[in-house]
Amino acid sequence: MKGRTHMPESPFSRRNMLFGAAGVSAAAFLTSCTSNDDSDDDSDSQQQQANVSEDKPGKPVTIGFAGPEADHGWLNAINDNARSRAEKYEDVTLDITEGSNDTATQIGQVDSLINKKVDVLVILPADGKAMTQAGLKAMEAGIPVVNLDRIFANPQAYRCWIGGDNYGMGLNAGRFIGEQLKGKQNAKVVELAGLDNLELTQQRTKGFDDALKNYPNIEKVARQAAEFTVESGQRKMSDLLQAVPEFDAMWNHDDDQGVGVKRAIDQSGRDEFIMVGGAGSKAVMDSIKADDSVIKATVLYPPSMAASAIDLARALGQQKGVSGMAEFEIPASITLYSAVVSKDNINQYLPTGFN
Amino acid sequence: MAPTSDTPPTPATPLLTMTGITKSFPGVRALDGVDLDVVAGEVHCLLGQNGAGKSTLIKVLAGAHQPDEGTIVWQGQETALKSPVAAMRLGISTIYQELDLVRHVSVAENVFLGHERSSGGFIKAREAHTAAQDLLGRLGHPEISAATIVGDLSAAGQQVVSMARALSHDVKLIVMDEPSAALDPDEVDNLFRIVADLTAQGVAVVYISHRLEEIRRIGDRVTVLKDGRAVARGLPAQSTSTNEIVTLMTGRNVAHVFPERPEAPGAGKEPVLTLEGLARQGEFAPVDLQVAPGEIVGLAGLVGSGRSEILETVFGARKPTAGRVLVGGRPLRPGSVTAAVKAGIGLAPEERKAQALLMTESVSRNVSISSLPRFSTGGWLDRSGERSAARAAVRDLSLRPDNPDALVRTLSGGNQQKAVLARWLLRDCRVLLLDEPTRGVDVGARAELYALIRRLADEGVAVLLVSSELPEVLGLADRVLVLREGQVVHTAPARDLDEHRVLDLVMEGTP
Amino acid sequence: MLSKSDSLPAPAPEKPQGNGTAARWQSYVDLRLVALLGVLGVLAVVGAVTKPDQFLDVDNVRLILVQSSAIGVVTIGMTLVIIGGGIDLSVGAIVALASVWATTQATQDYGLAGMLFCSVAVGVGCGLVNGVLIAFGNLVPFIATLAMLASARGFAEQMSDGGTQIVEVDAVLDLMAADSRILGVPPLVLIFLGVAALGWLVLNRTTFGRRTVAVGGNPEAARLAGIDIKRQRLLLYVVSGLCCGIAAFMLIALSGSGQNTNGNLYELDAIAAAIIGGTLLSGGRGTITGSVLGVLVFTTITNLFALNNVQSAVQDIAKGAIIVAAVLIQHQTSRKSSTQ
Repeated sequence: MKGRTHMPESPFSRRNMLFGAAGVSAAAFLTSCTSNDDSDDDSDSQQQQANVSEDKPGKPVTIGFAGPEADHGWLNAINDNARSRAEKYEDVTLDITEGSNDTATQIGQVDSLINKKVDVLVILPADGKAMTQAGLKAMEAGIPVVNLDRIFANPQAYRCWIGGDNYGMGLNAGRFIGEQLKGKQNAKVVELAGLDNLELTQQRTKGFDDALKNYPNIEKVARQAAEFTVESGQRKMSDLLQAVPEFDAMWNHDDDQGVGVKRAIDQSGRDEFIMVGGAGSKAVMDSIKADDSVIKATVLYPPSMAASAIDLARALGQQKGVSGMAEFEIPASITLYSAVVSKDNINQYLPTGFN
Repeated sequence: MAPTSDTPPTPATPLLTMTGITKSFPGVRALDGVDLDVVAGEVHCLLGQNGAGKSTLIKVLAGAHQPDEGTIVWQGQETALKSPVAAMRLGISTIYQELDLVRHVSVAENVFLGHERSSGGFIKAREAHTAAQDLLGRLGHPEISAATIVGDLSAAGQQVVSMARALSHDVKLIVMDEPSAALDPDEVDNLFRIVADLTAQGVAVVYISHRLEEIRRIGDRVTVLKDGRAVARGLPAQSTSTNEIVTLMTGRNVAHVFPERPEAPGAGKEPVLTLEGLARQGEFAPVDLQVAPGEIVGLAGLVGSGRSEILETVFGARKPTAGRVLVGGRPLRPGSVTAAVKAGIGLAPEERKAQALLMTESVSRNVSISSLPRFSTGGWLDRSGERSAARAAVRDLSLRPDNPDALVRTLSGGNQQKAVLARWLLRDCRVLLLDEPTRGVDVGARAELYALIRRLADEGVAVLLVSSELPEVLGLADRVLVLREGQVVHTAPARDLDEHRVLDLVMEGTP
Repeated sequence: MLSKSDSLPAPAPEKPQGNGTAARWQSYVDLRLVALLGVLGVLAVVGAVTKPDQFLDVDNVRLILVQSSAIGVVTIGMTLVIIGGGIDLSVGAIVALASVWATTQATQDYGLAGMLFCSVAVGVGCGLVNGVLIAFGNLVPFIATLAMLASARGFAEQMSDGGTQIVEVDAVLDLMAADSRILGVPPLVLIFLGVAALGWLVLNRTTFGRRTVAVGGNPEAARLAGIDIKRQRLLLYVVSGLCCGIAAFMLIALSGSGQNTNGNLYELDAIAAAIIGGTLLSGGRGTITGSVLGVLVFTTITNLFALNNVQSAVQDIAKGAIIVAAVLIQHQTSRKSSTQ
């Protein structure tokens, strides 16, 4: 999983984070014995999981949180998740820095958190590799680090890594489409990727292709790459629709560019196919619930991983393990599951959709 | 100063013999069987109006153009000058009119540009510096440091660098294209001294100039070009009469170069241009001047005496530190060209190509550019009105070709100047500022320009004239202001002055 | 050593030769455009051979035109700025800011007219700031517009919280509907053609255009001819900003949303289109027709690649090669025509 979610610092870096995978259930898993089963019908499951977590106030813990500039919906959601999670615990004080996309600034912020002697650090680096030294320094100062999503270059720089799974996103999107098209002969699929020069885009495509290999009746007939922007989504999707006069399903890597994709589809008047999104935005989830368009599902890369990171940090601060596991210690790394959200489970996930 | 001998040297073997050189360009036969022979140690002057083929001939000589026909014999051997590098290898160096120096690097780097002193790809800076300094000394300019950035040097200094570059090759023939055009009288003297030194060392010089008096001073022999042919070859420079040379160049006899002066121009008329204590700190002291319609006032002085600066300040291109300019009794907003143009002032600047003309545009567009509002309603251009007005102005000034669609860059210097004048004519300007109006204009066209300027004055325009050429100021102006180091040292009617007197005033106090 | 143009003959002033030269000049300009049309023709042939069904489709032609429209409008403004001797690196960022501002909930409440006004006003405002900084602050255009690029994008990001603002005004969304087409031409394409026609008129038929060419070709000569070059420069950036505002509104209609990533890298696309259209980067020369063709060449290339399912990396390489090829062809034809 090393480097899987590393993102270079660039205008696009935050986009890497757009793609969510299954954080909600992971949070539940960490903090309670509650099953992570998607079929859990309890619409208030999140709440419930939160309460189950080590429950009564314990030793007070101060958690330092350093993230990138919250200049994007997904990152906003990360901050919100971290904040509201921390507020739920009487014993947790959250020291959250002003977000920055500048590595030097972020290193300075981590330094000051170290100097303040916080008990645990949660770091979502602007650039994982570049921030490795800051993580090492904290660890050497005896402050356990929870590395969120964009991974450090050196495992010694964190106590625990938690993040999404790009390959898994592709895999699950492919499986969902495969199951939907089961039995259909010569089914055609198209793929609209995100920024093609990012590793995570390649991982997603790899997962998607690997999944489709299990369905010999399906052929991927076209793939184009947009740039995670609405404008490019609209443009590239228009091209794709023109290039492939008829197909059965498509996967769009990113719900954000998906706004443009949907616009292009509406403009073409085409509806012979089903579409699967990526990341899990509120808009896409609303469409899935309404079931009035080609959008039938989306694969998650959920910002709730920030809430889980707070849980992990609190547990580290109180020197507790994860209940529900035999080990005394918290795992060194946790890769989240990229759940597929479809009409069947939309109610459960709807509150997690981000703007 | 220069070897003056009425019998030009004619050794058995000329250094260079060009025979029957022909060169055509699309639509133009630039050279039509030109012969030229140059012997070692002579100054061979090349005369001709613009367009006569001088530039093409020296480009052939420099290896930049390949002739269509004709032979070139160099030191007794027939040769082809296939490229500028080939010409340089033979020992032919050319100093172009527009100095081709790299402004932002040092003198030494310019001198050895293209043939750097180097070993193994590394430039031997110190050696180049020493060698360049030697050359500068040889040229009589040891005070120029080889480390100076070329852009910081004066025009004359840059010319010395160009010459040093020419000499940095093992040179036998130097071609100088109007080398004195950008120089002041004392700098010209130095140039001539260098030329004399070179010829004394056996180097031949092909010298191109419009100034007949220069040719008298340093020339040995003269070849006159007209319409791509050599109409006279090897005339003795000292003894051929001016009238003969002018007749050869123009095909007509130019008896009176300057137009007749009216008795009392502007007398009794309200001055249209008034300078009240106009001054710019460090450039020129307060000037008071009134110019009436119909009057031509000349400013005489050396470069740096403040004459061009006064002109540009009147025009608003520079902001005065004191005083003001009035046109028709109304003060102008200081430092605003737009205000000056609105008030009816026009400027024909010294650097026509750089400061006045849109070289890639047509004559018509160049002429109309200052009068666009006249040809537009609500910003939309009346293009046929524009063209016919331009055509009328072109005809009026007998600008050739009389086609308003011709591109300005294809025009000769004199006709380019006419285009600039036409611009202000069209603008109905009341005050015309002329800075070096005949620079780069050949002899035949000059007379025409002089007549034109006088005609404009007669029609009621007030003219303020700056020129480095004293005869021009004295011959054309009604009144002359003599400037020295930013001070007006004398004002007098032009008829009461002569060159000698003005030079005394200009040089007074300088050794 | 020879810095002057050698290919030009010494003029013979006594002979009326201007007619021929002017005609040659005319044909030179035309030939550049012909070369571009040739490139478009080659692309069309490639498209027709590789994807006959999809490429030669009316829908596809419409698609290419629609995709050219927003960047096309920006390119018109950029062309005028470049001809005037400047450069505007902030076009993409202005498009982003205008599209975000015009899609805020508060603006959307005013409907289509309000959004259009807002978009154009933001564009003009940014252009005005650029123009004032450059004309009166004496900042180099590269620096001034670079600063605008950074701050406008930042402002757009802040205003939208980095999110996508969905448009809910039907009148705007309907601009892309099939029944909004006039004689089969989508409104966006009509706007593009309208702006291009206006740009052509401004450049060729107005004092503003004439002065633009003069200021770009020889600023000193323009100044000494009495042209207010500061005002001219200021207005050029305002025009560019105006084009950005219009383009932003077009993008809003196209994508049904406003986002701070809109207009990403438009500055480079617009400059490239203008250059291959024959606009001199140093100013003083350029044509609107060339720029329009330049935009069409780019969009057609992208379209062609998408139809043939070529991947991004290959697309980028081929695009670069085609730019070089187009410019080389132009050089060749222009040289040939100038020595005929």
